[in-house]
Amino acid sequence: MNPLANIVLDGKPLQVEPGLTILKAAQQAGIHIPHLCYHPAFAPEGSCRLCAVEIEGLPKLELACATVVRDGMKVSTESPRVAEARRSVLEFLLAEHPLDCPICDKAGDCKLQDYYEAYGLGAGRFSETKDRKNKKVLLGRNLILDRERCVLCTRCVRFLNEVTRTAELGVFERGVRSEIGLLEGGPVDNNYSGCLAEICPVGAITDTDFRFKTRNWFLRTGESLCPLCSRGCNILVEHHPGFPRVPHSQKVYRLGSRANERVNGPWICDRGRYGYGYLQQSRGEVVSGPAAGRPGSQAFEEGLDFIVQKLKKMQFMKRQARTAVVVSDWLSNEELFLARAVFGRDLAGCRFYLCGPPDGQGDGFLLTAERSPNRRGAREIGFHTDEFRLDDLTRETDVLVVFGPFLAERFALPDIRTALASVEIKVLFTPQWNGLETAFDLVLPTAHPAEKDGSFTNLEGLVQSFSAVLEPRGAARAEWRILADLGRRLGLNFSFYQPFNSAPAVRAALKKDIPFFA
Amino acid sequence: MTAEQVLTRDFELEGLRHIETYLSRGGYRAAVKALKEMTPQAVLEEMKKANLRGRGGAGFPAGLKWSFVPAQTDKPKYLCVNADEGEPGTFKDRFLMSHNPHLLLEGMIIASYCVGIQKAYIYIRGEYEAVAQRLEQAVAEAAAKGFLGSNVAGTGFCLDVRVHRGAGAYICGEETALLESLEGKRGHPRLKPPFPASVGLFHCPTVINNVETICNIPFIILRGAEAFTGLGRPRDGGTRIFGVSGPVERPGCYELPVGTPLREIIFHHAGGMKDGKRLKAVIPGGMSAPVLGEDEIDIPMDCESLAAAGSMLGSGAIIVIDQATPMLKVLAKVAKFYAHESCGQCTPCRIGTSWILKIVRRLASGQGRKGDVEEIRRLASGIKGLTLCPLGDAAALPILALVTKFRSELET
Repeated sequence: MNPLANIVLDGKPLQVEPGLTILKAAQQAGIHIPHLCYHPAFAPEGSCRLCAVEIEGLPKLELACATVVRDGMKVSTESPRVAEARRSVLEFLLAEHPLDCPICDKAGDCKLQDYYEAYGLGAGRFSETKDRKNKKVLLGRNLILDRERCVLCTRCVRFLNEVTRTAELGVFERGVRSEIGLLEGGPVDNNYSGCLAEICPVGAITDTDFRFKTRNWFLRTGESLCPLCSRGCNILVEHHPGFPRVPHSQKVYRLGSRANERVNGPWICDRGRYGYGYLQQSRGEVVSGPAAGRPGSQAFEEGLDFIVQKLKKMQFMKRQARTAVVVSDWLSNEELFLARAVFGRDLAGCRFYLCGPPDGQGDGFLLTAERSPNRRGAREIGFHTDEFRLDDLTRETDVLVVFGPFLAERFALPDIRTALASVEIKVLFTPQWNGLETAFDLVLPTAHPAEKDGSFTNLEGLVQSFSAVLEPRGAARAEWRILADLGRRLGLNFSFYQPFNSAPAVRAALKKDIPFFA
Repeated sequence: MTAEQVLTRDFELEGLRHIETYLSRGGYRAAVKALKEMTPQAVLEEMKKANLRGRGGAGFPAGLKWSFVPAQTDKPKYLCVNADEGEPGTFKDRFLMSHNPHLLLEGMIIASYCVGIQKAYIYIRGEYEAVAQRLEQAVAEAAAKGFLGSNVAGTGFCLDVRVHRGAGAYICGEETALLESLEGKRGHPRLKPPFPASVGLFHCPTVINNVETICNIPFIILRGAEAFTGLGRPRDGGTRIFGVSGPVERPGCYELPVGTPLREIIFHHAGGMKDGKRLKAVIPGGMSAPVLGEDEIDIPMDCESLAAAGSMLGSGAIIVIDQATPMLKVLAKVAKFYAHESCGQCTPCRIGTSWILKIVRRLASGQGRKGDVEEIRRLASGIKGLTLCPLGDAAALPILALVTKFRSELET
């Protein structure tokens, strides 16, 4: 290994890995050097000129994004010359900028605004007529380009050239007339188009899914995992927490990518990005069944009591084999572990089935064919993922407990209803009402991954934790909580369930029990 | 003209552009000498000794540039001749190529042999259609006579030469933008390093030289580096073709030793001012060279003297401006050119040149305001030194010189 390079950055002596650019070295030292065109996923472009820094002994300012540190280098990111150059570049950028921040979706999250606040703050001296450009160019089904706001960083062009390799966009014209436009071959149409609005440092590319719907300073951002395939992409959930006294007014406005080099890099696919509708549509929020109509939490308690009674009775009668449990690979590792403990150990003899959404097609990059977040986890915890038929579930079954709404995606509803008619007790735990609930006696609402704590195992076997970003809806509860509760109420192994008052506590037991998770 | 001609010898001969005439005047002797009697290393040593400075504008020594190309590489190497002569006021390369295309080809053979190149391109500006045809014809003639192709002059050395026409962008004269354009991409300058000598055309080591630079090589090989350096200044040898334009009696190209005084070029060789007009200012090296006032023209035309005077020798294009020409008009020309030709990649050049043009246009339409000239100066300083390629400086420096030296005239 090469020895570390000794550099002096703003008077601070630092030891940095050789080969690092000044910008990255500064980042590691907690010094932010402003930049627009530089993006860590691409080779440096060096066109915005904002990251120019002063290096002792060199006549010109050099670009921090492209200059590699050398031993003995003395760099200033704040010298008067650097400050002057930044002010100058910012003044140029803002000269032809429409300054329509009040109607710009990016306002509040805009690099140009931030940098102007931090490094510019001069009165605008541009007193000429601004060039007018097209403010609404449709680039693809979900993307609109405002050419007046564009700073020509070409991140979008480079993303399409280097990441998706679909090359839909290019720079046209020259000089101040330069503009981003569609090359021959049609609109931006790939599964990562949403990334363009995300990497645009200003409000030039906006997303029709988000455009004009809210201001981003009203939103809260939480970290979560995308459950729509088995990649386990790290995401940000941007949501409005809701107003007091307005029921269920919490609302998700958009999802963003959260960089993780081991999983998704800085990207997420469009399917994940725009597929958040399930979080707010057709949600089961109330208990339906014997206790329906009672206040949410009381109805939930009564529902659980009902199940416990039935299960106890089955156990007393040694008829566990006539209990069928359908788990889903949308359940977290912790929940699957608890399901196995409750139904596979305490009530030994229950029959398990695994049912998730049907596979689709992978896109060769992030999106996988498996459309559930935790199939690998289910396998490691010991669930078999074999296909089953409806009459496997119902034949010689008195009690059927189902987690998740996915039976309805595998079988036709009328068939499910007919098949289930012969089962005496039918209980469904689901976060989503998709018609399946009509075939059950008791339906208890549960949480989606964004609304609970837990962990998923992605297809490569990486276990990633997530925590609740959103409140569970209505009476809904997280499945790990429900299962731990069931375990306690059954009373067959009370002390085992006793400590499980959080998902990490369950995880600790899981780690001890199954070496894969250790 | 008593000085020895390196480049324009025999230009009065009608058929010089054809290989028979060129051969009859001793053409390709230098190439044969280099290939048969010299090792590539010896050629390089001779070139370094000659200290031939680039004639395209930057004045970088050609031999030194060649020596940066890695000798050991498994990649092909390329030679690109920069014939994208777009600098306003410059017409020397057209003059050379249309009169004596074989001189260029001979220089290319020697350069390629020296560096180990088997494929060479001449990137010629799109507007030079007729010249491109002459080059094509010359390439065909040279190939037919065995000076190009798979067995150059019977030595087994291979060289394939292609003529590539640009599409009319000034920026493609910048060497890395030229490479991008040659690769079929948009002509945007590249971030350096890496320099073309290591990562150039198609990511391979590449030598890029100006037409006039290459045309000097046969003389250096045939007559030796000392004969060459003896012609000009000690550290800036040889001759240069000075293209004089503007209100002079005899505008045109003059091959003169490097270091010939500017006053002598204008008043002796170019015949002085036309119709008794009075000299006001001179742009000494193409439009991007900062302007010189009439009191500054007693200066030897070599890279270092002009740099010391705050200007540059550039392409050696001398633009003469007379007293009757308003400097605002000159400023407007310069501002319009760079605003039009800025590639748009870097922020300061993209916006700055257009901003300056907007102010200049307002000034020209009589809508000037107090402080406009100072504003132009401020903006030009904001571009200077901050862009990726030299175009930003090429725009900023002449504008800075104009608004500094002719401030009082511009402000009235």
